[in-house]
Amino acid sequence: MLRLLGSELAVLFRRRRTWAMLLALAAIPILIAVAVRLSSAVPPGRGPAFLDRISQNGLFVGITAMVVAVPLFLPLTVGVVAGDTLAGEAGQGTLRYLLAAPAGRGRLVLVKYLAAAAFAVAAPAAVALAGAGIGALLFPVGPVTLLSGDTIGVAEAVGRLLLIAAYLAVSLLGLSAVGLFVSSLTDVPVGAMAATVVLAVVSQVADALPQLDWLHPWLLSHRWLDFADLLRQPVGWDSFGANALLQAGYVAVFGALAYARFATKDVLS
Amino acid sequence: MTRTWLRWMPAAVVPAVIAAGVLAGSVPASAKDPLPSKTPAEVIALMAGQHQAAFSGTLDQASSLGLPQLPTTGPGSSPETAWLELLTGPHTARVYRNGTENLRVQVLDRLAERDVIRRGNDLWLYSSKDNSAAHAVIPADAGHQGMGKGAGSGTDAGAVPTPDALAAKLLAALKPTSDVALAPDVDVAGRSAYQLVLTPKSSDTLMASAAIMVDGQTGLPLGVELKARGQADPAFRVAFSAISLTAPDAGIFQFTPPAGASVKELPARDPSGQDHSGQAAHKPSGTGNDPQAGKRKVSGSGWDSVLELPAGTLTPAASGAAGATPGNAAALLQQAAVPVAGGRLLSTALLNVLILDDGRVFLGSVPLARLQAAAGGQ
Repeated sequence: MLRLLGSELAVLFRRRRTWAMLLALAAIPILIAVAVRLSSAVPPGRGPAFLDRISQNGLFVGITAMVVAVPLFLPLTVGVVAGDTLAGEAGQGTLRYLLAAPAGRGRLVLVKYLAAAAFAVAAPAAVALAGAGIGALLFPVGPVTLLSGDTIGVAEAVGRLLLIAAYLAVSLLGLSAVGLFVSSLTDVPVGAMAATVVLAVVSQVADALPQLDWLHPWLLSHRWLDFADLLRQPVGWDSFGANALLQAGYVAVFGALAYARFATKDVLS
Repeated sequence: MTRTWLRWMPAAVVPAVIAAGVLAGSVPASAKDPLPSKTPAEVIALMAGQHQAAFSGTLDQASSLGLPQLPTTGPGSSPETAWLELLTGPHTARVYRNGTENLRVQVLDRLAERDVIRRGNDLWLYSSKDNSAAHAVIPADAGHQGMGKGAGSGTDAGAVPTPDALAAKLLAALKPTSDVALAPDVDVAGRSAYQLVLTPKSSDTLMASAAIMVDGQTGLPLGVELKARGQADPAFRVAFSAISLTAPDAGIFQFTPPAGASVKELPARDPSGQDHSGQAAHKPSGTGNDPQAGKRKVSGSGWDSVLELPAGTLTPAASGAAGATPGNAAALLQQAAVPVAGGRLLSTALLNVLILDDGRVFLGSVPLARLQAAAGGQ
């Protein structure tokens, strides 16, 4: 089981596509930082949240980049990885050989999910670290002003930045499970990837419609932007817990569906 | 075949378990441990005598006033319309209080926050959206604010009469216009609470009932709920969703404007925060203690009284503390008001505002016909 997971992670993080996606994510904060550096002061209240703070404090590059990446870029990359998990093997015709090993289908689904989850952790971390790095390079770094108007030191601010990355990693776990299920439905990896990304976007569109507000608490993406609660003083842990619970529900439901579908599937290729 | 069924089993069981958990969690919130039965007067006395000086909690506000929800971002939001936005949309706020001199209210917006901090005689307003702070000094003799709950207004710290006497007085004042009764106990933020319900005797008002949830142990008001006629959902509800009765960390009340923030010094006058003004606008006729009512004409009394504002007042309600400039608010009004005979009507579940063509404004928690009658009677 551990060996299977180790080889799965090695395959995932040795792929050029995985690194290309992580580099593309890291390019978001770099693009933002360079754009702000080259332009005149940004007036407050324009552009994505926290954009105006960047020129005063480089650590905000990471936070702004995460605000920008949450709606599309992070779900997109996670959708690609999660959608590829089972359908990719099926498409390449390697699934037969994986199942020939005495690992069992349940374990294979679990290992595939854990690998996708590892990418869901790596993706926001790449944005946060690249953001903090480029911010420290181009802008002064100092005490950070929180949403509440209180100020915290650099060390605590970096801690909060990592907390936000952890929050987003948790947020993407549910989407990874959805992607895993979609991936078990088809042998065409591109279809599974596209369907996963479309589901993430549909969830956000539904979240923006006030007519559907009875549905909002159940939507996958409902609490994605609530990571701002980690930038308050004192830290609002409620949203972290609620988000974790919501994502755990998605992982349980779609994990069970993916297992059921994959375990009963006729593997022909 | 059976193996196939076994494998689909988790996929069926997991949603069932989740659904069962959700259903178990959403059982109507009735009080868990029964409270000793009390008369309305005793509950008012309990509330008036409460001395819970320190607490922290989360307030949830929801309203269905029949007004369009204002966008929280984009060109629709400006300082002038901020109070309106506070009324129409759902909001969550964290409240910290320690004694009458230490108060912090944090209105939690998406990716933003608005703060009101009082420490001693210093009052700070901070908005993270534009990184601006405002400072004011509260005159030493100003009584403490009602913590933006609307319900606290009956509990002045400096009040001389005993709680019992105060309750009797209040009840006597309410008797001619309202029926005061106790509804079954409710559960608010995990605490059993009495529910004091005022039902207007007049059938001419839009207000169906006003309820105050009073904590059974401490007498602390835990929430307010206003119901409109012909509407099942409460038109306005603000209540604690979580509360802790321990003293909050003293550091919470310390505020120095962050570096880079624009700081404005406000003139020293009664500086109730913008969210307070928003709440105050909700009790247009019920309490009748509007500080600016002197300049305005009131016809009728009790729930169905009608307030007349002289011509030139373009902003109908709560134009006071927010320092509204007519421009933006007037534009909003033009959009929201519908034309009726003789002027325009801004209709909400709890309040009707009639703006006559000659500029006079009539408002009250009454149907349009009464506003028109009041306007015609002049």
